[in-house]
Amino acid sequence: MLKTAIVTDSTADIPDDVVREYDIHVIPNILIIENQNFRDGIDLTRSEFYELLPNLKNPPTTATASAGSYQQLYENLFNSGYDQVISLHVSKEFSGVLNAASTAAQLFKSQVFVVDSKSVSLGLGFQVIECARTALETGDINTIVRRIKNLQPKIRLCAMLDTLEYLHRSGRVSWARARIGNLLRVKTFIEVKDGQARRIEDVRTRKKGIERLLFYLRSHGPLEKLAILHSNAVHEANIFLQAYNNDLKEIPFIVNVTTTIGTHVGPNGLGFAAVLK
Amino acid sequence: MELDPQIAERRDYYRKKVIDGRALSHLVKAGLTWLRTNQEIVNALNVFPVPDGDTGTNMILTMQAAYDEISNFEETSFSKTIQTIAHGALMGARGNSGVILSQIWRGFARAVDNNDTLDAVAFAGGLSEARETAYKGVVRPVEGTILTVIKDISHAAEEVISEIHDPIQLLETIVNAAEESVERTPELLDVLKEAGVVDAGGKGLFFILEGMLRYIDGQPLDKTIATVTPLSELILDESMESIEPGQDWEVIVDFRCNQELDINNFFSELESMGTSIQFGEGDSLYRLHIHVPDENYYLPENYIKELGIVTRVAKENLVDQIESRRPAKQESEPEISPVEPGNIGVVAVVPGSGIAKIFASMGVAAIVEGGQTMNPSTEEIISKFENLPTEKIIILPNNKNIYMAAKNAAELSNKQVAVVPTKTIPQGLSAMLRLVPDGDFDKVVSEMNEAISEVETGEITTSTRTVEIDGVKARKGDIIALLNGRMVAATENLENTSLALLEHANVQDYELITLFYGDNVTLEEARQIENAVRQKYPEHVIEMHEGRQPHYQFIFSIE
Repeated sequence: MLKTAIVTDSTADIPDDVVREYDIHVIPNILIIENQNFRDGIDLTRSEFYELLPNLKNPPTTATASAGSYQQLYENLFNSGYDQVISLHVSKEFSGVLNAASTAAQLFKSQVFVVDSKSVSLGLGFQVIECARTALETGDINTIVRRIKNLQPKIRLCAMLDTLEYLHRSGRVSWARARIGNLLRVKTFIEVKDGQARRIEDVRTRKKGIERLLFYLRSHGPLEKLAILHSNAVHEANIFLQAYNNDLKEIPFIVNVTTTIGTHVGPNGLGFAAVLK
Repeated sequence: MELDPQIAERRDYYRKKVIDGRALSHLVKAGLTWLRTNQEIVNALNVFPVPDGDTGTNMILTMQAAYDEISNFEETSFSKTIQTIAHGALMGARGNSGVILSQIWRGFARAVDNNDTLDAVAFAGGLSEARETAYKGVVRPVEGTILTVIKDISHAAEEVISEIHDPIQLLETIVNAAEESVERTPELLDVLKEAGVVDAGGKGLFFILEGMLRYIDGQPLDKTIATVTPLSELILDESMESIEPGQDWEVIVDFRCNQELDINNFFSELESMGTSIQFGEGDSLYRLHIHVPDENYYLPENYIKELGIVTRVAKENLVDQIESRRPAKQESEPEISPVEPGNIGVVAVVPGSGIAKIFASMGVAAIVEGGQTMNPSTEEIISKFENLPTEKIIILPNNKNIYMAAKNAAELSNKQVAVVPTKTIPQGLSAMLRLVPDGDFDKVVSEMNEAISEVETGEITTSTRTVEIDGVKARKGDIIALLNGRMVAATENLENTSLALLEHANVQDYELITLFYGDNVTLEEARQIENAVRQKYPEHVIEMHEGRQPHYQFIFSIE
């Protein structure tokens, strides 16, 4: 059986123990604060980042790891005995990771398969985990890729942004498409579908927002997998999960989302990524 | 009762003529003219202590639209003429009374489908059908309104039709019946009784019918015969002009006189006190209007107390009034982003440019100016969405007085139109939050309907009369608070009323208070109230926006 390495980027938000368990190789995205580079989740923890964020004079920017670092990783993987690499990444609408990985992959002919997850955070992470599990069973690249493609339509990702301030500041308004010029302060619901973020509605209060988020989550019926996503609102994430109160085969993850997203959504966002049954 | 010989002669003259389309056209014009003459009286009958929907104005605009359709009409057929009138009335209908009035015309027109002229029997039949149509047009008919009046007059006509064969005599019968019916409206509707008025819409219908009879009888239509000269006619435009020294206060005194009034002496006394003196009389009731300087604040009423019984005194600070009425700054049109072809387009009826901007920022496709005092017509609403590049339209009336016009617009349009019955601005905003422009139409409509109940609405305004409503006493000029349309507080002071409103709303159970300040408060005043609210509710999120709505110092959205 061919030995397959699984590569992703830090926007997948896969908890460390799972990364270790499945031997997933994660390349961190880069966060630039006041001309200083930080590796997402490594040089600066996520909670440190979210505490810092509101006080920064200039909005931080994000960058992908260089094509060179992807090339380096792929090379190391082949040198250490892998036969092929699946490199599964954040939607190309949100980040240049896919470009960097694809550029690097070209140097390795057909041994590196770069796949657009069309999602982010655990929407990507669940695909990576599924991919890693499959790779333990088979070395057939077609089977592995088909598994991912079958999984993609079952992924749901929805989040409530506590404020639109950061989206405005970072200039990524297009993420939420139209109607972001709202004069009233609102909390916007974003859904990620087919690789794009789309505004689904606004609410005006946090309480209402959490009710609606629960409504959306429940509307998806029984779930295979669930992750509660938050940007430094772990307490609320826990309460939200309790409120959902449905038995799941696997314990849901609770993750502080990647700074690549967090830079634009700001602190106190709450959402979920789920895989439908 | 003996008729005036002149009137009898005129009636004989008309009796020999047929009532065809032309005659109807003259009668409609007479009804409209007489209603216009008495407009202020109808307007002044607002049952609620807020400046309500200008019933008189709305009915006039409705009648005017009806008359416009036939003013250059060559048609002589009665049925064709009245059908055209009914169409015009419907298209121009404003406010609930206007819409019901248009239904009355429509019902009448339907009953006389094939008549080239009108006889008494067809007249009575038309009234019966008018009644039926008017009642059907209202979801929950309320007695003590214009509906009761059309019902009573149609019954009166049915009762006498076996004896009366003369349409003019029948008209006289129903004019009398209308007058009696209007007088009875307070017995049927508590809110009228509490306010001490008769129903405005019913009164308007009476004036239309009476105007027709007065035309036949050759009586003047341009001068009101009502008891007192309406206030607004007295003050006219002058209060908008700059004030000369010595015009600090506008004082209005209503009184009854013990003795014969010596007008010359009376005026010369008043001239020593102030300027801009106007005087109205009728039915032994008098109304004096005068502008006086600060130092003469009490003089007019003290003087009049010597002459008779003062029934009412009203005073207004003119300097302040003019400051507050002065247009604050240049208005800019709200920026509306065009609706994508095929997407859902929302049409919102909105008072005030500030609120319009907020609706625009939330993605409405069109804005119709209107609200409590200016009800847009069905036609105005339709014209705003007919040309939008989409078939899917949602109307947010944002006021209960506009709901019927919106509903009619929906029925008359060939597009797929839904009315989400928002009664207040906060409800409209709440509904807008659920708009998904490319979403499923029915789903968005049902989501919007659900969103209506997710917000509490507070409104702060000045009471236009002294009343007791919902167990709260308000004097004319008091600042009153309405919570979801019910009066909950009345004090002399904006801050106290605002805080009382929030207490009644159980604000502690909510998270966010949004204030929209109106055209009649300055930014400084608004900030004061905002700060008072912040201090009282430090845990809440407080947000304030310039609403620029007329009449309401504040609209509160509590959620």
